Amino acid sequence: MEVTQDLSFIHLIANASVLVQLVMGLLLLVSLMSWWYIFLKLFAIRAEVRMTEEFEDAFWRNPDLNHLYQGAKGGRGDQGALERIFAAGFAEFAKLKKQHGMDSSAVMDGTRRAMRATYQREMDRLESHLAFLASVGSVSPYVGLFGTVWGIMNAFRSLANVGQATLGHVAPGIAEALVATAMGLFAAIPAVIAYNRYSHDINRLATRFESFTEEFSNVLQRQP
Amino acid sequence: MSVAAYPNPYGREPYKLPAGLLAVAVHGAFFALLYFGFSWQTEPPATMSVELWDSIPSVAAAPPKVEEPPVEAVEPPPPEAQPEPEIAIPDKKAKPVEKKVEVKPVEPQVDERVVREQAERAERAAAAGRVVDEYTAKIAAKIRSRIVMPPDVPDDARAEFAVTVLPGGSVLNPRLLKSSGHVAYDNAVERAILKAQPLPLPPDAALFNRFREMKLGFRPKE
Repeated sequence: MEVTQDLSFIHLIANASVLVQLVMGLLLLVSLMSWWYIFLKLFAIRAEVRMTEEFEDAFWRNPDLNHLYQGAKGGRGDQGALERIFAAGFAEFAKLKKQHGMDSSAVMDGTRRAMRATYQREMDRLESHLAFLASVGSVSPYVGLFGTVWGIMNAFRSLANVGQATLGHVAPGIAEALVATAMGLFAAIPAVIAYNRYSHDINRLATRFESFTEEFSNVLQRQP
Repeated sequence: MSVAAYPNPYGREPYKLPAGLLAVAVHGAFFALLYFGFSWQTEPPATMSVELWDSIPSVAAAPPKVEEPPVEAVEPPPPEAQPEPEIAIPDKKAKPVEKKVEVKPVEPQVDERVVREQAERAERAAAAGRVVDEYTAKIAAKIRSRIVMPPDVPDDARAEFAVTVLPGGSVLNPRLLKSSGHVAYDNAVERAILKAQPLPLPPDAALFNRFREMKLGFRPKE
């Protein structure tokens, strides 16, 4: 092994063994994807919170449910999960009301089921990609560690071939192997932080949706 | 059922492109930070090599050496009362001496400074010779004290060893030059040489060259 003192970043990656390079490439890909999801979820959750607040405001300020329902059905692009839950519940309620002979508890049950279904779907949508972030957070350090161990093994094996062993013979190998660990951590740390943050945010949103469902059921039950 | 008209929420991810661009930007920033922010070591550290021990006998000092040390060198052994450790130091003492002695008288008009220098040098050489003899005697005594005498050694047995001495006083491979004819005695002397490490050496490092290669001879009866 040539004892080169040029430990620049590019050299470290270019001189690494094939497996370490593969690991680095994989980690780079995973890191890119996880950051992509991080930003995607960041925007999505922020928009969801904003729309939820707007709709709650509108709902409590405006007692005219029909008007709200028209708005929810009309504005295609800019409606949040809560608005869709409301629309589903109100549509079901109106339909059941039209059928004569149903008692009010059956109507309310049907309305609740409709809202429940929409709620589940919306939660599923909000929670999409979070599992990926969790996996990246827990697995990518190990992947990086694997690359590092492999690289260091190679460094020591090449050390066995030289008669007079100096630190200069192993140092470049170890440095390039450690780049893999660095990349693994770089992918993992933001993913873990984002996962924790987003699941907390989504839990709070879920609580808001559920309490809104209950309150909206009460409002509907009081309808003539 | 108009529920079927429910908009499919899965297809809509309105922020795909900006999120992707931001992710790429984050990585670009990270690599730029690594590349420019971290000073990767690109210049080799200044190397310094130190030769720890003088390996070659100083040629410059050798020729003008020793005018009369042979005379003095004979003397020190008696005080130790150990006549027999005939230790021959591989040093061309005798020959240069003869040459010098002959050459000098021929050139009487050499100025006094040179003469004085010569005298001083001779003085120093003589002192050095005394020290050398003293320490050769010490070395011989130390080795001798560690010989475990095997039985039935004839008195005229004489084992001769060549020894390479390291600066610390340790001995590198004693070689049997001339056997005494009594194998047990040869072995006893060799063990004694090894046991006598470290050999006593003069504190003046300049004199060490004269101890580097030594010939040591030992007789049982002393």
